[in-house]
Amino acid sequence: MSDESNPLMMLLWIIPIIVLVFYGQRIQLYVSANEIKKDITKLEEFKNESRQKLISYIKNNLKPKDDPVQKIDSFLEYFTIMPVDLDPNGIIPKINHLVHSRDDFTRLQVRNLFNEISDFEITKIHNLLEIVTSLQMFHKITRHLYLTAKKQKNFPLILPLQMMIPFIMEEASALKDAVESLKDGQPIGDGIGPMIVGEMMLNTSKQNAAFETVWSKSELEGRELILVKAEGPNATVGRPGEAIQNIIPQNKPTLIIMVDAALKLEGEDSASIAKGFGAAIGGIGTERFKIEEVATKNSIPILAIVIKQTIHEAITLMSEDVANQAKSVKSQIHEMIKDNSKSGDTVMVVGVGNTLGVSQ
Amino acid sequence: MRKSERKLTTCYTCLECKSCQNLTKRKFEPSDFVFKNDGKCSDCDGDLLVTMIFGKTIE
Repeated sequence: MSDESNPLMMLLWIIPIIVLVFYGQRIQLYVSANEIKKDITKLEEFKNESRQKLISYIKNNLKPKDDPVQKIDSFLEYFTIMPVDLDPNGIIPKINHLVHSRDDFTRLQVRNLFNEISDFEITKIHNLLEIVTSLQMFHKITRHLYLTAKKQKNFPLILPLQMMIPFIMEEASALKDAVESLKDGQPIGDGIGPMIVGEMMLNTSKQNAAFETVWSKSELEGRELILVKAEGPNATVGRPGEAIQNIIPQNKPTLIIMVDAALKLEGEDSASIAKGFGAAIGGIGTERFKIEEVATKNSIPILAIVIKQTIHEAITLMSEDVANQAKSVKSQIHEMIKDNSKSGDTVMVVGVGNTLGVSQ
Repeated sequence: MRKSERKLTTCYTCLECKSCQNLTKRKFEPSDFVFKNDGKCSDCDGDLLVTMIFGKTIE
């Protein structure tokens, strides 16, 4: 009897097919869920490791009044309720108010942990808290989706999580690695914009433009330059939108040039430079809104120059390739100024990014 | 251990003399920041300025 006509061999083929028809999705769910579970464990490790490093840094390097653990843990649980967006008219000032209130509150709470602490250390602790909070949020949300899918045996729910988890892990890994640079006060990749403008500000008289943001005047071949950046070497991005809104009415620039780090696309070279139009600034969108609004009201064109990086490069210690691009970007800014303005004009150059470890 | 976990990054500080433009590189020290005046040049006694702080990764 040949294999084809043997009923036992036929059963051997048919049984797995029947099993896969009825239980295939469940098996797939089980395999995917196991992969996701490993990443959730890793996310928890990232969160715990970062939290521990923050607590050790506070205990060993600064002098807290009391044991900071309980207070730090309570910070990590804070949440933000975004304003109602049913009627989007006027939502930006509401978001702006909310974000500023949250920042002011955190800063005050951090200050209250110590008898004496410098602004530099406050900005560092503030940034470290943001990192641990983000890692905690990543862990909580992925765990919630995973457990819900498992509980309800809901395979479609695990699919978006499976698609998103590599991106979440990439960002989480970058956040975890950023802790070291922040603790040591070393410049991060995102600081390339403030570093370029900071160099242009050397030997000029700096003034306060907005909270944690400075500006100064310089000159280039008959053009007056207005230079704006966050106040370094603190770990802050400042408030460039507010600063530009404050400076423009008095100084009336004819051109705004923004320098920032940008996320590179896969296949693009790290530290490559790109030029374009529009306000080069990330974040929640309130600062960009302010810049676009004031520029539109005064008919000022905005040009952008960005230095491409991965998320990991942008929030961890600045790489040599990125740092080496500073000279080239500076000369391209000078070229942009000369090409797009004439002698006697005023041009504003804004260095956008976290200015940790970069003075002016 | 994965390849990415075997990477070791060392942080360096680059200094430039404002007078003779002599460039030097040393390991990062905790109080360093970019554009900090950091002592005198050993060649011409000019002021040294921190121009760059960056990480170099060894795999």
